[in-house]
Amino acid sequence: MYIHIEEPTEKISKDAVQMWRLTNTIGHAIALIIIAVLLYCTDYFHWYGWVSPVLYSLGGLLILSALYSILLEPVFVQRHWRYRIDEEFIQLKNGKWNTKHVVIPMEKVEYVRTEQGPFLRKYGLYDLEVGTTTSNHTIPAIPQAEAERLKAVIATYAKVRDEEEEAI
Amino acid sequence: MSGIQRFHPAFLVVELVSFVKGIFFVYFFLFVLKAQSTSGWVVWGRYILIAWSVWAIVNIFLKWRFHGYEVTERTIVLHEGVLVKTRRTAGLDRVHNQTSNTTFVHKWFGLTSLKLETGTSGDHGEIEFPVITQEEKERILSLIGLQQQENGSREGDEFFEAETVRTMRFQSKKKDLIRASFTSLSFLAIFPLLSAAYSNLAVFFNLEDGAEGAWDYLVLHWWMLIILFVIALLISSVIGYVRVYLKYGKFTISDDHDKIYIEKGVANVTHFSIPKRNVQAVVVEQSILKRLLGLASVKLISAGSSELESEETSSLYPFLPKHEAYRIIQDMLPHYEIQEEMRRFPRHVLWAKLLRPYYVTALSIAGFLIFKPTFLWVSAILFMVAIILRVLDYTFTSYIRHGDLIQIRSGALTTETFVTHKRRIQQATVTHSWLQRRFGIATLSFTNRADPTHVSELYGVSREEAGEFYDWYRQKSASS
Repeated sequence: MYIHIEEPTEKISKDAVQMWRLTNTIGHAIALIIIAVLLYCTDYFHWYGWVSPVLYSLGGLLILSALYSILLEPVFVQRHWRYRIDEEFIQLKNGKWNTKHVVIPMEKVEYVRTEQGPFLRKYGLYDLEVGTTTSNHTIPAIPQAEAERLKAVIATYAKVRDEEEEAI
Repeated sequence: MSGIQRFHPAFLVVELVSFVKGIFFVYFFLFVLKAQSTSGWVVWGRYILIAWSVWAIVNIFLKWRFHGYEVTERTIVLHEGVLVKTRRTAGLDRVHNQTSNTTFVHKWFGLTSLKLETGTSGDHGEIEFPVITQEEKERILSLIGLQQQENGSREGDEFFEAETVRTMRFQSKKKDLIRASFTSLSFLAIFPLLSAAYSNLAVFFNLEDGAEGAWDYLVLHWWMLIILFVIALLISSVIGYVRVYLKYGKFTISDDHDKIYIEKGVANVTHFSIPKRNVQAVVVEQSILKRLLGLASVKLISAGSSELESEETSSLYPFLPKHEAYRIIQDMLPHYEIQEEMRRFPRHVLWAKLLRPYYVTALSIAGFLIFKPTFLWVSAILFMVAIILRVLDYTFTSYIRHGDLIQIRSGALTTETFVTHKRRIQQATVTHSWLQRRFGIATLSFTNRADPTHVSELYGVSREEAGEFYDWYRQKSASS
């Protein structure tokens, strides 16, 4: 532990790794296809000479980025995401090289919502989004039951806190 | 309460004047400067401009005809829209601060304008009355006062129980105005004036020989150059003084138990007031010149007012001597105690700052290599500037936490000292990167309500302090 703080302990779902591998694969595949189509067009319509080297280097970068974000990134992100929700605070921690700790007091929470796209649904996961007056934060890939419970918990705590705050 | 009220007919005049003021230069450009031009865009531009003006003027009449407002005991309802009607309801207790601005036109009719800021950000965050009689303004303000007082007493708030006696904290005097006009560098207007004088002289003296001759003439008669310079300096100083006088003359800061009042201006009179408990943070800003002269500008950050605007309104007199500024803040907002002595970071933080990547330099090198290799030396200059700025930034960055207050100072050329209360911080973040871990430091940041959200970031706090800051924020403050 680099900084002496009481770190959050809850982890996000292990299935997140599989899910992110899938979505990142699809995303990169689409980008590569677009570049391939553009390369074909360059050849076919005789676009400017500098277009194809640019496209090739973009493609090269994309392949490197694909290697990273399909093989390594999901594992790192999943392994280093931590959160903790109690009566007074929401604490978030993520990142291996750039580590980030966030603490949000319950009374500043304005809304909480869960979100699920097709890929999250495939793995039975939800993203939990917490909004404050100044920003919003997403805790990714939480199992359905846990997400529903957290949403209710945060809503209750935030409401109670809000009333206490008003009374000050 | 009465039903929907329409605005005073002077609304038409005020809106028309502000419309003419806004569009005057476009007319001037298209019809005077480009009078001879027959190129397509100028001609079309004229047609579009005329059409636009007609529409805008008709719209002003329609707006006056159809817009209105309704004030009840608890809410203000605004009726807006000509074709698409909208009704906006705002709770009186939501009003964060208010500004009232009296322009020349308002003065002729004995009217004023009023703007109420609610805490919401975005377009609908404010309620505006472009023209309003003084009595009506007083009525609305007293309703707001009543409503907030009621809420206050219901919540057991002691803010409103005390008597409301206004204490005068600051009144601008001639001395302050002279200092202000000097600091605002308005005397630099001398250079355009000089060049104007020069070009006129050139024509006057040497019609046949052109500008060269005038310069020779001036070199021969150097005393004339000096006189010209002195005259220009005098004129621009006077102009600068008058401008500052019109803008900041009759500047007063006063407060009573629960509110701060700022009034300013001679031609355009602006009244601004904010409840003390809505102040989210205090910012002290000093440019290089102000630092040399020991002046400071103090701003009050509140949820309703945007930061751009606060330059105009919620800023206390921008040319106060630093100590006087601190004293005034101290007297009005006893919770916000500004510490003069702040801790600077140890030397190794400077090395960490200098080791961070130089994105601008790298980009410029890449750009010049590809497009203009002969200009590569510009990158070297950019690199030097970046290093100087980082050293300056290190020199001025400092930090202190005392009680429930946190105070950070940062900035290279203009330093900003930001003071806020633990309870006003919306969220706190501590981050550390790979590089920072090598140096045993971290970055801490926190956000405050403002429009847009104010994010304070401090690079280079020691890891121990970062941990303490995190724990400090998680502990309940003594006062809540």
